[in-house]
Order: sequence, then C-alpha cells, then structure tokens
Amino acid sequence: MTTRSTVLKTQTIMFALAVLLAVSGAHQVRAQFIHPKIKSKETTIRRVVVLPAKVNVVRDSMKGPEGMAAESDELSLRIEKMVAEVLAKKKNVATLPAAAGSAEGDAEQKYNVADFQTKFDELLPKIMKKRSDVKKGRFSMTDEVLNLNLDKGADAIVFIRGAGQKLTGGKTAFRVFVGGMPAFLQLQIGIVDARSGEVLVYTDPMLVGDPTTAVDRLRKALEKGFKKLPEVKG
Amino acid sequence: MFPRTPTVLIVAALCFCIAFTSFGPVALAQKKTAPVEATPPPLREEFKFGEVDLEVLEQANLVDQRFERDGLVLVDEAANAYLRRVGQSLIPPGLELERVSWKFRALRDPQPNAFALPNGSIYVTTGLMTLIDNESQLAAIIAHELTHVMRRHTYMHNRSTRKKFLTMNVMAAVGTYAPGGIVGAVITVVTTVAPFIMVATIYGYSRDLEREADLKGIDMMISAEYSPEEMVNVLKLLDKDFEGENIRLFYNDHPSLDERIKYLTSYLGGRADKVTHQMELNRERAAYFRNVESLMRHNLQLALNAGRARSAVYLAQRLVDFHEDSENLFWLAESYRTLGPRASQLTEKELTNSAKKDAAKKSLKRTTEEEERDLLATPAGKENWERHKQKAEELYQRALSAENPAPVVHRGLGMLYEKVERRSDAVAEYEKYLELSPSASDRQRIQRRIEVLKEKLK
Repeated sequence: MTTRSTVLKTQTIMFALAVLLAVSGAHQVRAQFIHPKIKSKETTIRRVVVLPAKVNVVRDSMKGPEGMAAESDELSLRIEKMVAEVLAKKKNVATLPAAAGSAEGDAEQKYNVADFQTKFDELLPKIMKKRSDVKKGRFSMTDEVLNLNLDKGADAIVFIRGAGQKLTGGKTAFRVFVGGMPAFLQLQIGIVDARSGEVLVYTDPMLVGDPTTAVDRLRKALEKGFKKLPEVKG
Repeated sequence: MFPRTPTVLIVAALCFCIAFTSFGPVALAQKKTAPVEATPPPLREEFKFGEVDLEVLEQANLVDQRFERDGLVLVDEAANAYLRRVGQSLIPPGLELERVSWKFRALRDPQPNAFALPNGSIYVTTGLMTLIDNESQLAAIIAHELTHVMRRHTYMHNRSTRKKFLTMNVMAAVGTYAPGGIVGAVITVVTTVAPFIMVATIYGYSRDLEREADLKGIDMMISAEYSPEEMVNVLKLLDKDFEGENIRLFYNDHPSLDERIKYLTSYLGGRADKVTHQMELNRERAAYFRNVESLMRHNLQLALNAGRARSAVYLAQRLVDFHEDSENLFWLAESYRTLGPRASQLTEKELTNSAKKDAAKKSLKRTTEEEERDLLATPAGKENWERHKQKAEELYQRALSAENPAPVVHRGLGMLYEKVERRSDAVAEYEKYLELSPSASDRQRIQRRIEVLKEKLK
C-alpha cells in the first residue's frame, strides 16, 4: 500500500510539473537574438535587401481551415514594406531594391531567389530549435549568398516568414466557450550577412488579432521585434 | 463480483474490442482481396460541377500560378515539350473534359514525386524524371496522374471527405513532413493555397482511387504503345530509399507497394505479352537520357543544394555511364565532394522506421557543418572523407582531360583544394575558372574566396 501511494504521489507531482512546463511554454516570451559581431560593432547593418516575404494565413471556420491565398499574398507584401519602414524609421537602416545585377537570364535569377528562400526555410527549424544560439554565431547560410548578386552596397538580407489564422464569427464564438488558439500572426524574421551568410539577427514577433486587418498592432509588433538591433548613427 | 485489479478489466475490454472490430480474427477471415477488374469502368463524363468543385478548381489554378511565380517550375522548353509529347500521346483521342486544360510541366524538386491538379496540370519532379530509366516509365507515371484528372478523383475525394476533413488532419499531415530542399517549398505552396489538394494529391487518394489510377493507367499505356510492365518497374524503382526519408511521396505506401505490384501483375496477365516494335523503342534508356540530360544536370544541382548527396552520387553515376563528358564527370565529382564524410549508402539498421525518425530529429538539432564536423571526428567518417576526396579529385581531373572541358570543373577543384587546405592550388583553380568564365553568376563569391585565401597565404 505504501509503495502504491508513493508511486501515485510521484505520478501526481510529475503530472503537475508537466502541466506547469506546458503552460509556461505556451506563454513563451518572444525575444530577439543578435550575433556577437553586431553587438561588438564589428558588423553594422546600414543597408539591407528585403527578400519577398512568405506569410501564410488560413481562415479557420467550423468546417476546418481554408487557404487564404490572395489575402496571404497581400499581407506578405504589406509586411515586407512595413519591415523596411520600421528599419528605416527606428534603426536608420536603408532598404535597397532586390532587383539583381545578374548577367544571367530572368529564369536563372528566379531560381536563385527561390533556392535561397528554400535554403532559409531549411535553416529556420534549426534556428527555432535553439534560437539563443544566434548569439553564439552558430547559424550560417554560407558565402553562397553572394550568388544572389545583390547590390554591392547591401550589408544584409532580410528573410521574412509568417503563419497566422483568422477566425470566422462562428469559430470565434465556439472558441469563447471551448477555448483554443485565438486569431494570431507569428512572424519569423532572419537578417543574414550579405557576404558571409551568417545569421546576424533573429526575431519572432507575434500579434494576437486578425492578421489581415490589425495594421497598427503589426507595426508595433515589428518595432518591438527589432528593439535590440542597434541604431545606425549618422 | 468484479475483477479485483484494473489490469484484468483492461485486458477484458481489449479482448472484447478485438473480437468485435474489423481487426478481429472473424473480420480478418472474412476479408478477401478484391478481384482485379478485367476492364476499368467507363469515363465519368456525366460529372456535374457544383459550387464546392469550383472552389477546388480555383485553388488548383492558384497553385499553378504560385509554382510559376516562386520559381518552382523548370523553365526548360525542351524538357517541358518532351513531357507534353509523352502526356498528349496518352490522352484518348477526341477526349474533351469540361474545365480541364492539359499542362505537363517539370517541377524543380529533387525528391521523386508527381501529382495532378484537377484543372489538368500534371507535375513531375526533376527528381523523379532523373530516377527513371525510360520513356515508358515516364508514361506510366503520367498515365497514373492523368487518370486522377480524367476520373475527377480530386473532386470526388473532396466531396466525400470534406466534412470529415478537419484542422487536425491537415495540420497533422503537414506536421509530419519535415521540409527539405525545394520539396518543402512545393508543399508550402500547396498547403497555403489549398490544404485539401495538398493532402489528396501529394499524400495520395483513397485506396480505391489509387488502384483505379494504376489500372486505367495500364490501359492508357497499352493504347499509346508503351510497355505496360514498366508501371510495375517504376514502383520497384521507387522503393529505393537513398536518404532514409521519413516520409516518401509519390506512390506513397497507399496501398502498400507489394499489394500494388501484386494487383498490377495480375491485371497485366496476358496484356504484357503483346510487345510491338514501338514499345521496344520506348524502353530505350539512351533515347530517354538524351531527352532529359540537361534536366538531369539541373536536378543534380538541386539534390546537392538539398543535401541529398547519396542520391546525387547514384544519379550522376548513371549520367556518366550514359555519356561520359566533362560536365557529367563534374557532377559526379561534385556529388562525391558534397558526400564528404558521410557513408555512400545507409545500412539496413539506418533504414528502419525508428532510425529514420531519429535521424530526422537529429537533423533538426545540427547544421550541415556541425554534422560534417561530428562525422569527421569518427574513424569511419575520416575514412569516408579520404575515399570521397580521392574519388572527387580523380573525377575532376578526368573532367578536365575530357573533350571541351567545362570551366566550372576548375571551381569544383578549387573548392576541394580549399577544403583540404591546399590554398595556393585552390587560388590557382579559382583564378582559372574566372578567367575561362568571366561572366559567371557566382563571380562575386569566387572572388571573395580568392581574397580570403590570399590573405591566409600571406
């Protein structure tokens, strides 16, 4: 009997700990991670090229999720512009056009951009697994980034990813009673050195609310997301 | 009266379930293999479009646009024309389907896969086109996909599963797929635009619909004078797992590969005996390779970018066996250089499901550079690297001594020398590359490497 009660007690404690951990994980504080080269001012980000953002939003209704392709495209463009604006306004970082000076044809340049976007998508889960390692300079896209043939004045390349959901009226009401994830937008932004390919900044701002309409909240989330990035002087 | 311990209760409940569900011995005994149909049912020409179907159609059109916009469609007119020719030859003459416009395109994706969208777009990945042996096998793949469109499988599947299809299913399907290479991009595009199409077209339809696509595909192949047994050969070919992938795509285990081979062989029966001269021609490997050689080279670059070096070695070797020129030798050398300290083949143990899952988890924790560094710290890794390094150098040299040596060989050799710290040799090779290829798209990268190496040499 004693052994059984001890086991039960241990199990209860373990369960409580697991619940506690799960809850604390769900409310993880979103943070920014900066490469030591930026902190030590060895590298300064003055000019960036923002690559096309890939933000996907779904409409969650009682029938299940539905794709929102047109809205996602529109939101991607808006976020791209907003990131450039926030960087310029708050950090004095200029954005250069992504158009390449490549001598090769259009198709080759299209492939190049597509392949680099994919390369970032492959690296992203590894960064997310241990985001704080950006501070150790652990992640890199290698000098292959030079193959993008961007403007020579570019110091860094900005990659933007995002996922979110918009709830229909029915689903919102359902969530009020049953609980679950509200409407949200989670962004993942990586700033990569345009010469060495090192990941210089990683930030994942999040906003709660309808991602397709909450423009001000989005801007605030982005401003917070780049808070730690040093401002360029002069 | 009741059993004293809960364990007994659980066992009793389990026994009850086993006895009265489809997994029970009675159900299993009654389960018979469905007979192989002699001829597939006629085309469902009476198909009427509803609002729900039109939504799916619209999503399919969007997927097409996204693939093009995102640089996923291969812009190789010769390769796409070849695909078109094979595809058109399979379509029954005079067949006109409402809201279907046939398009046959190669998708820049090193993972073997093929799928059809309900609007008539058939995509075959460069990875699959590089893996197969002849035009008949390509026809087998396209015929299977054509059937999905002709029989309106996407719409039917959508209608029957729409209500059951909730968030969990899509998210679970997407979640189990660990993206790697361009294929991750393909899945992302389809998932964003049309989650339903993603699950149906990429993960497979229901067992019956897949079976119908296989059998009808055989009939279409025979009509177009393609050897029908190549459908079975394609399945066998796709069973090769070079990379120990957690999830396989095209002809996913649904129905199981063995089951598929079994019913296809049974359906073929006497049909496979009638071999025409054209059928023989369509099985020629060299003719097929001539048509897709440049696509194969493009795919090798994609495979190496996606870290699929084992597949790349196998595919590049096939290319060299077919045509030993400077460029093909270069790709084989590149594959060996990229393979680095990895073993060229996975062991049986590494190919078990649990080992694959472990490897997928591990790959999330380490970057490619860390993986190489860890492997190089082991005796087996060192041995592999020594062997692959020698092999790569020998192949680069052979590529340079071949007729019309490709300038890019100097770049590859430079990278190999840089890796083994033969810095001055690396600089010489890089400079030679830039001299022979002054407008190379990677000029900036190579120039920077030269600068860094020269700095180290001081």
